[in-house]
Amino acid sequence: MYLSVRVDKEKCIGCKICITSCPEPNVFIFLPEQKLVEVNESRCKACGLCTTVCAKEALKIG
Amino acid sequence: MKTGMLKISPGFEDIMPPEYRELVDNGPYGKNYGIGDLGSYKELLEEHPLCAGCGLALSLRLTLASLPMPEDTVIVGSTGCSALAFPQVALHNIHSLFGNQNAVASGLKRALKLRFPDKEKDVVVIAGDGATADIGLDMVMQSWLRREKITTIMLDNEAYANTGGQESGMSMQGAVLNMAPTGKKFPKLSLPEIAQTCGCAYVAAASPAKPKQLAKVVRRAILVAREIGPTYVQLYSPCPTNYKFNPKETVSLIKQREKDGLYQSKEYISQEAKAFLESIEVKK
Ligand SMILES: Cc1ncc(C[n+]2csc(CCOP(=O)(O)OP(=O)(O)O)c2C)c(N)n1
Ligand code: SF4
Ligand code: SF4
Repeated sequence: MYLSVRVDKEKCIGCKICITSCPEPNVFIFLPEQKLVEVNESRCKACGLCTTVCAKEALKIG
Repeated sequence: MKTGMLKISPGFEDIMPPEYRELVDNGPYGKNYGIGDLGSYKELLEEHPLCAGCGLALSLRLTLASLPMPEDTVIVGSTGCSALAFPQVALHNIHSLFGNQNAVASGLKRALKLRFPDKEKDVVVIAGDGATADIGLDMVMQSWLRREKITTIMLDNEAYANTGGQESGMSMQGAVLNMAPTGKKFPKLSLPEIAQTCGCAYVAAASPAKPKQLAKVVRRAILVAREIGPTYVQLYSPCPTNYKFNPKETVSLIKQREKDGLYQSKEYISQEAKAFLESIEVKK
């Protein structure tokens, strides 16, 4: 399995900061009903930028 | 442009690549999306080959999401890292010879005005700092002096990244790079001031560390260029590969530089542009 960012759905509050901090297009998908984000793992390059901006520590590279 | 032109001919849906189908069904054309909508629609940029954590890729992605009218925009690029992403951009774009971008954009803007006199067509140059501030500087400045109605956006990674890391006019004094091992001997060029002196109606420096600000200045620059004259935006976009920092630190590095007074966001708006922006921004 490739390295990719993983979202902890318990911690994510859907602030969307990770979405505007990711250099790759269409990696984060916002789920408006649940108010959290989902990841398209096949597009993530695992740079980790999103993990440094998420104030809720909801993101981890693994 | 009629967005209907993007529709797939009936019967051919199943043979079109999934990315294309997704763009037709869920893309941003004609919908007035902004960066706040990212994550809920198919972006104009597809998977690109730029390095992990690339600040320039982040600036490019946010810039594309901020275009006021993508379906009627033509981007003029230049050789460099950003040029590697343009084959993946679902937008009219031209790859010019390194440094020629503002001359090509000037001709294109004039041709579009003749061809579509009643329609707005935005011409936006997006190029690296080497192409803008060094080799292309003459043509960039001449387009400003001629008051061409185009927007110039510099993706400032402070190096010639695509050719392995030479210093550029935009590198900081003392910057050590693969091909500048003893450090740059001269200070960073202040292109925003030059742009202002050369007659740009709107000039801004921003970075992807503040995405909303980046979106605002890109949008303003394009709208002012449409109505008034040349505009310039400089986006500080650090390069983890050539400056050898951890790719996850791209944004924190910008914030640190800002704290240390080594990077500053700026905005200069001419009187005429100010009046125009007030008229459209109040209305909204
Ligand atoms: C006329 C010409 N001169 C030189 C080159 C070689 N060249 C290709 S990319 C590049 C550097 C681009 O640097 P910059 O504009 O800063 O963009 P970056 O790669 O850093 O994004 C150079 C010098 C070229 N392709 N064409
Ligand atoms: S930054 Fe963190 S909390 Fe905010 S949407 Fe992304 S994962 Fe969720
Ligand atoms: S070399 Fe630098 S600017 Fe070029 S794609 Fe890699 S990180 Fe981005």
